[in-house]
Order: sequence, then C-alpha cells, then structure tokens
Amino acid sequence: MTGKAVFVYSQEQLSYRFNENHPFNQKRLETTNDLLFTLGALKEEDIVKPRLATEDELLLVHTRDYVEAVKKASSSQSQASFASTYGLGTEDTPSFPSMHEAASWLVGGTLTAVDCIFNKGYDHALNLGGGLHHGFKGKASGFCIYNDSSIAIEYMRKKYDARVLYIDTDAHHGDGVQWAFYDDPNVCTLSLHETGRYLFPGTGSVSERGSGEGYGYSFNVPLEAFTEDESWLQCYEKAITEVAEYFRPDVIITQNGADSHFYDPLTHLCSTMKIFHEIPRLAHKIAHQYCEGRWIAVGGGGYDIWRVVPRAWSLVWLEMTNQTESVIHSPIPKSWIDRWQTSSPEKLPETWFDDYSIYPDIPRKKEIEKKNERTVQKALEPIFKQHKNVPL
Amino acid sequence: MMLEEIMKTDVVSVNASTSLGEAFKLMEKHKIRHLPVIQEDGFIEGIVSDRDLRDASPSIFNPSESVFAEKKVSEIMKTDVITALPTDFVEDAATVMVENHFSCLPIEHDDHLVGIITDSDLLKTLVRLTGADLPTSRLEVEVPNVAGMLTEVANLISEKGVNIQSVLVYPGKNPDKKILVFRVQTMDTRKLVQSIEDHDYLVKWPQLNSGMTL
Repeated sequence: MTGKAVFVYSQEQLSYRFNENHPFNQKRLETTNDLLFTLGALKEEDIVKPRLATEDELLLVHTRDYVEAVKKASSSQSQASFASTYGLGTEDTPSFPSMHEAASWLVGGTLTAVDCIFNKGYDHALNLGGGLHHGFKGKASGFCIYNDSSIAIEYMRKKYDARVLYIDTDAHHGDGVQWAFYDDPNVCTLSLHETGRYLFPGTGSVSERGSGEGYGYSFNVPLEAFTEDESWLQCYEKAITEVAEYFRPDVIITQNGADSHFYDPLTHLCSTMKIFHEIPRLAHKIAHQYCEGRWIAVGGGGYDIWRVVPRAWSLVWLEMTNQTESVIHSPIPKSWIDRWQTSSPEKLPETWFDDYSIYPDIPRKKEIEKKNERTVQKALEPIFKQHKNVPL
Repeated sequence: MMLEEIMKTDVVSVNASTSLGEAFKLMEKHKIRHLPVIQEDGFIEGIVSDRDLRDASPSIFNPSESVFAEKKVSEIMKTDVITALPTDFVEDAATVMVENHFSCLPIEHDDHLVGIITDSDLLKTLVRLTGADLPTSRLEVEVPNVAGMLTEVANLISEKGVNIQSVLVYPGKNPDKKILVFRVQTMDTRKLVQSIEDHDYLVKWPQLNSGMTL
C-alpha cells in the first residue's frame, strides 16, 4: 500500500459526443481538469492515459450482436430496427461516427484504473470519463452505450477473483450494473437515487434485491423527489456503512454521477455541494477500512456542467489525494472562473459550498425525511435480519 | 391481456389423500397460501388454503391432538372451486377475486388444472401495464376532457422522436379535465415538456421551473 492515487485521462475521452445539443457533454472533463490544474492539485505526472478496451473485453458483459450493431451504427450502416432492438439511433443515444471507438475508450479508461490498482501498486484510481451505468448487455440506454463499470467488475472477477462492492450515487438508478450482476453473490451493488416513480429509468425499488444465489446482494435506496442534504446524507451514511460491513469487499468502485444537485436540469433532488464533499470522504474511509485502500472511482451523470460538475468531480480527486482541506477554505480560483465564465450561461460559483438560499423552502420536508428514513430501513432489512441470527 | 399470458403454469398441487402435515410443509417450502387438489390427470377436485389448515389444526392451548398431521386433505378441502379460464381477461379475473375476497384463482381447461394466478401476479401485471419495469421517464399532462386530446399530445411526443412505453388515462379531480400519464423512453424530458406547454397543455410532471407541488 503506497497511498498513491492515479488520474486516468486523455483527449480521446472527449470523443464520446452525441451531438451539439445533447445533455451528456464531456466538456465537463475539460472544466474539471482545468479547475484541478489551476488549483495545483493535479499534475501531469498524476495522469495515466487510458487504453482502448479490446473487443473481447467488451464481450465480458455485452452480447456479440450488440457490439456488432454498435460498430455498424458507428460507420453509418445503421438499420431502422437498431432503435428498438439495440436502443441505437434513439433520441437518448443517437448514432455518431466512431461511436464504437469513443465508447471503447471510456471502457478502457476504467480498465486502466483497475490495472493501476491491481498491477501497478496504486491505492486509488479515478476515471471521470466512466460511469455509464445505464448500458445493458444488449442495449444502449440513457446516454450509455458500453457499460464500463460492469465490464470492469467482470474483469476484476475473472482476472483477480475480487469481491466487488459497487456504490452508485447518481440521481438515476444504476440499472445496467445491477442487472448485469443480479444473480452474482460476489458482486454487491448499492444504488442511491431519486425514486423511479417519476424519474428515468423507473426501476431501483427496495424490493429489487437480486435473484438466485445473488439474492441479498442488490441494494436500492430510492429517495423522494426534493430530498435535501441532511436526509440524503443520513441515508447514504447508513446504507454504505451497513452494506460494507455486511459484504466486506476486496475492492470498491464508486459511480459519482453529479446530478443529485438542485441545479441539475434533469432530476428533482434538492441537494447542494455539501453531499459531494461527503460522498468521496466516506468512500475513501470504507476503502481503507475493508479493502486495503483499493478504490476505483468513475464519473457518470451530471448535466449542470458549469455550476455543479467541475466542483463535484474535483472533490473526488481532492479526497483521493488528501488535498480537500487545503483547498476548500479558499474561494474557487478567479483565473478558472475568468477562463470559463464567457462559455457558461450561468454565473459560475465562487465557493466550494452553496448557500441554502439557492432553492425555496420545501413544504413537505418532514414527510420526505420520514419516508426516506423508512426506505433505507427497508432496503437494509436483509442485513438486519441476518444480524439477528448471528450469535453475539 | 389474457390470463394465459401471465398465469403461473408450474402449479404446486396435492391430491385428496395427501396428509395435512405434507400440505403444510409444501406451503411453507414454496411460500404459498393455496394448494389446488387434483386427480392424477389434473382434474380439479378442490382447493385448500393456509386458513383451512389453520382452522383444522389443534389450538396452541391444546396441543395434544397429534393425529392432525395424519389427516387427509380430502377431509377439509373446499370442493366448490371457483376457477378462471386461460382466455379470461385479467381485469375480469381481478373482479372475481375482489368480489369473492380470494387471493388466488386456479385456471382450468376442460375441468383440468393448467395454471394459477394470485393477487401478487396481478400487481406485477399492473406494474408492467404502467410501463415502470423498463427504462423510462414519467410524463403527466392535464388535458381538457374532450375527444382527440390523447392523439394531440401523443403526436407532440412522436414529433420529438421519443418512443412511448405505456399510457394511462384517468379522470382529473375536475370533471372537465383528464390526466394522461405516459412512460416515455428518454432520460431528458425537457424538449417534450416545452413542446407540450407551448401547445397550452398543463404538464403536471415534471415541472421545468422547480415543481414543489408534488
């Protein structure tokens, strides 16, 4: 254990780009990296370039006919049936030239992160280009083509025989990863998200607990719309602490979607930057407590690419490298703001926390908190039941 | 939707000479509350529920009656079995179950058992009918209670190239209104909401300017 962390990034990750107006915008990676460089918190020597995932690696999770379809769609040989069969060429995942390569770069990034930890002696690895948790075995969905996290998990299972805990704090349910390992008792998935009653993808209810041998290794905490920091964090701390103690993983992989913020245009939670300070902090602690430090972090959703994502994702790296405290008490560097303000439709933030006045009072606050409390209790029921049977 | 599309076909059943003890074990093992009683060829003779078994079992205050477990199912089964047919509609079967306070219905073909349906199967079907089992977002629109509204709103969705997974139409609190609930196959509903609002329909969910009313 060296305590070292690595930042996986290269220009190729920016090529995952559907079209001009698509909400999934990898400019987030540029603004985040620039913020970290400006702070002096990220240096060239921290960066490792990702490799391109091989086709065999894609096939660890995806079906061959789906990969073939993605390849065809990348070279404009798309067929009308691709939309319904493979989810390609739809409004959410439109086809674009070199789509197959672009998606393979993101997968390769997360695999590079894995290799850095298991082969190169790093403790932590961050690939903000990854986290495409909606990708299904045979279908693109919700802006995701290949599911880098699922592939990385299967790769760790096959190559290193590791027990993997996947923790997903994106505002949308981590459905692709959950279904990929739904019957596998060696991969435990935990997803905290806004309830699917209204929000995409609709799944992720507490009753989805896994099947067959994997029963009891899928956890879902669907939170009420308009959930605020305090309630969100309470559920997160409870869930991650209990699940980690129950599963005792060899490695954790966290998906750090940054779309639970009040500002996010696609979701309806009311958190502020505060939760993005706490999410990596606790993940870091869990990694050292159970996994000798082994922690892979990936990106994910995040559609306010100016006010939310750069700060939220910088905080993951700052936490990994124990630099948070030395940074967050100063304002956001003025030179960073000056550089990007002209591109941003909103006024860029000047501090690492948000003022609570950014959103109105939530009338149903109490009820929301109570419901969330019950939800997390219910989600963790199998653990509590199991503990009861353990002699003290 | 017909029962044959959702019924369970590998039915756990017993015959008239099965002992009550055995029936108890089967229910516990499979976590079920009803056992159809059939002859070898599947002819339905009766049905026995967990309640029938409990009624027949000795009181905990009088545990002396150990012969209970040896008794035969035929002694306690109900023989006037109400069944459904594979081609019955799901909603009709649901009505029969509600009216009779049943939580399950055996399904027969020519008096022979071919399947079973329970209240939880019906709930699962409801979840499927509302489209919530596939990656979709919810879109709720209030429209005037007049002809053609569903077509108009559906057209606006189709113009944006978004696939509709399911639709529910239900009366609004105000009788002049109807609520249309769509599950649409997209993660980003903003363009849809904008277009529907531009055509003067009220989008109840999601509300673009931070909907705090829900």
